[in-house]
Amino acid sequence: MNDLLSMANMVVEYDTDRGPQRALDEATLSVSRGEFVGLVGESGSGKSTVGLTVGRLLPPNAHRRAGEVLLDGQAIFELPVESVRRLRREMLAFIFQNPIGSLDPTMRIGRQVALAARDAGDAQPPTTHLERVGLPDAERVAASFPHELSGGMAQRVAIAIALTGRPRLIVADEPTASIDATIRRQVLDLLFGLARDVGSGVLFLTHDLHSVARYCSRVAVMYGGRVVEDGPTAHLFQNPVHPYTRALLASAVGREGVGGHVVPIAGMPPVLHGPAAGCAYAARCSWAISRCRSERPIREIIDDRLVLCHRADETLSGKLVTQETSADA
Amino acid sequence: MTGRLPHVRWLALRLGSAVITLLGVSILVFAAMHVVPGRYDELLLGPQGLPERRAAIAAQFGLDRPLPEQYVRWLGATLSGDLGVSMGTKEPVRDEFIRRAPVTIQLTLMATALSLLIGLPAGAAAAFGSTRRLGAGLGRLLGATGLSMPDFVLGSVLVVVFSTNVLGPTVGGFVPFFQDPIANLRATILPALTISGFGAALVIRTTRDAVLSALTEPYVLAAVARGQRPRTIILRHVVRNSAIPVLTVVATTVGYLLGGSVIVEQLFGIPGFGNYVLSAVQHRDYAVVQAGALIAASIFVVINMLADVSYAWIDPRIAVTQTETR
Amino acid sequence: MTALPNVLRRGLPFAADPLSRLAMLTIIALATVGVIGPILHLGGDPTAIGGPRLAPPGLEYPIGTDTLGRSLVPRVVEGIRATLIFASVAVLITAVIGTCIGTLAAYLGSVIDEIVVRFADVLFSFPGMLMALIVSAMVGPGSTSAVLAIILITLPLMIRVARASTLRVANRDFVVTARVGGASMPRILLVHLLPNIAGAMVVQATYALSVGMLIEGGISFLGLGVQPPESSLGSLLSQGKAYMTVAPWLVLGPGLILALAILSVNLVGDGVRDAFQPKQSQSLT
Repeated sequence: MNDLLSMANMVVEYDTDRGPQRALDEATLSVSRGEFVGLVGESGSGKSTVGLTVGRLLPPNAHRRAGEVLLDGQAIFELPVESVRRLRREMLAFIFQNPIGSLDPTMRIGRQVALAARDAGDAQPPTTHLERVGLPDAERVAASFPHELSGGMAQRVAIAIALTGRPRLIVADEPTASIDATIRRQVLDLLFGLARDVGSGVLFLTHDLHSVARYCSRVAVMYGGRVVEDGPTAHLFQNPVHPYTRALLASAVGREGVGGHVVPIAGMPPVLHGPAAGCAYAARCSWAISRCRSERPIREIIDDRLVLCHRADETLSGKLVTQETSADA
Repeated sequence: MTGRLPHVRWLALRLGSAVITLLGVSILVFAAMHVVPGRYDELLLGPQGLPERRAAIAAQFGLDRPLPEQYVRWLGATLSGDLGVSMGTKEPVRDEFIRRAPVTIQLTLMATALSLLIGLPAGAAAAFGSTRRLGAGLGRLLGATGLSMPDFVLGSVLVVVFSTNVLGPTVGGFVPFFQDPIANLRATILPALTISGFGAALVIRTTRDAVLSALTEPYVLAAVARGQRPRTIILRHVVRNSAIPVLTVVATTVGYLLGGSVIVEQLFGIPGFGNYVLSAVQHRDYAVVQAGALIAASIFVVINMLADVSYAWIDPRIAVTQTETR
Repeated sequence: MTALPNVLRRGLPFAADPLSRLAMLTIIALATVGVIGPILHLGGDPTAIGGPRLAPPGLEYPIGTDTLGRSLVPRVVEGIRATLIFASVAVLITAVIGTCIGTLAAYLGSVIDEIVVRFADVLFSFPGMLMALIVSAMVGPGSTSAVLAIILITLPLMIRVARASTLRVANRDFVVTARVGGASMPRILLVHLLPNIAGAMVVQATYALSVGMLIEGGISFLGLGVQPPESSLGSLLSQGKAYMTVAPWLVLGPGLILALAILSVNLVGDGVRDAFQPKQSQSLT
């Protein structure tokens, strides 16, 4: 396969006091070489679990019940642990949501970068790496401790560390969630710019649709532990097929016209304790029919994307029209 | 930017704080001795004290002066090295404490070393094996047992076993180290073991908690995500980050032990600090009791201050907060 | 720490924690024995002198006899009662005083807070047994001395925990709301703060109880605590000390019972603490 990353029908459950909680309910996703893919969804949709699963980084209370992940053709859950570590070193890089937290608080920045570089076989001094991510006064930053940096600076450091190994796939889990809005764009520009330079693919987990539209050529939408729609960004955002994607876009700030409304999605995302009986979105879907509640949808190729909806072809043919768009004057 | 050494200002604050606590300790000891019924000079010398000595004490401590003034005089005398005179031996109390100090220090060092040697590996192992149900339960039981076994019970068991059988270690028969190392070790190993039981259990529990806590930190996940091997992660990150709670426990234990492990010294006939204060209590030798309390508490305060400074060296975030949060 | 967790609310202590449940049952058993045992003369009459002296444990005398030919069983039963009562009373007093002082210090802040913190620090600097010695030197040997010693030794930590918990809770929104809304201080303390720090205080109280039993045992062992004719487990040990080498059961019997009691209290304390703060683990693979 020429896919860089291929996740197929992944099922992951967590042990909790109230029994098993299913975070991924047959999630399928792929990233090609050098491709930037956005994974969007509300909190609790399973995005972070997808990220952890890609690197086989699930905590001990999480269990893979089914499915597999292929990284460059290798099934990572079948490999011995040492091989997985090698894959992580050579192929993967992770950027986490809390940049300061992902750095050792008792070690200076320079030393952390130097160690990462040394592990990756890179002999350049840490200041070189720090300059590469646009940190002014690299000497001073190198001598600092993580708590002395701002969130934006710390994330740049994290990016610098991530790129010492020339990764083939960067998994970025909400990388700008704890960063000032004014700096977000710079950090993302940096991340995607450097990724392009290195030829690395990016799996961008976020709920920020604008950023996805700006940087990602493809987007996957997650709901209830499944990828419900997956296709080219621009087209998907313009003509969403899946009812959830439509609702999501309608609820996103910035897309409404003058006098238009931002419509939140009524209801709450589901918490699954086992496989969803039908479509996980049925309870909140305006077009749900009885089949939606009892039968799990299967992936269908609609136009240029993959959709998980029993009525997907009806949407495309225009039969299904949202009440909101018809009510807008 | 900032070096490893904490700000001078922070250091000064810590030092000042320790001094204030020491003052508080002295006030408490002073007050306690004046709560005891009876005249102070009688307390210090006993009813058989010579009139000249009694008059000298009255002059030195200004016994007819208001209490705060007495306190100041007493504090001054103490700071200049005069810890009073033992009612029993009529010798300066300070001399006897100095004579006994090496014994207690030796016992403390041995017990601490044993606690760490047993506790650190066990605690770390407990942390890494904590995902397994049975191991966790067993570890918890063992740890709790160590914390629950009173030293007088454990010590008594050892006394019974080792005084009825000739097995090497002796009960009693203490000899200073430099006089006869072998005999000394044979006499001190049992009391050291007894003390270290509690200490080891404490170290096990603290190490386990600290390591587990460090393992759940995001930077460990980041290191695992970079493909680092467990051994590397532990050596590079976990050790330093879990050091502080362990150091706290060690400092507290050492601080307490230097106050003499009263029961163990009594059981095994060790002529140390604790034994001295105990017999002083039994003989109403209050000068000794007072001095002993002062010395023990002061050592504790100093050791804790040193520990605090070392924390700031390990974790640079600590010295940043100017106000102490406890 | 949040208010009482589901575990305790449901009324089924430690449903998922068999070790702590067993420990809790052990404590209840010991307490029951201690309370009604002496009344029912459980194990025999503690003053009955007629038996063989220093007899080893056997069918007739499960824990053996002492120098006066008394069976140790009823004496241990009395001992359990004394140890539990003295330790519990002391810890109860400490809990009340400590909670009051700690909470008020945290709530009122500034100078009062500083003084309280210093006071706790000063008390904490005295090693446990030494503090007990000082107390018995001041007050004279006896059970009062033991109780007072336990109070002074466990007070600092109780104050600290109360203060820290209150600090954590007092700035939360619901408390600020109540304050702004004009609620009086006693009301804020009782209705809002106390329930939320109760968890931490309960955990601390159980640890204080185990420390209390250790101290009482220790000081009585040294002969400075509970005096005859009263007997606690510690004083039994003290009396058996002299005959340890020929009649070890005199020390082992009360000693192991004491250790068991302390162990149970510690396990229950651990269980309560874990119920509030379950530990997450991470894999290094």
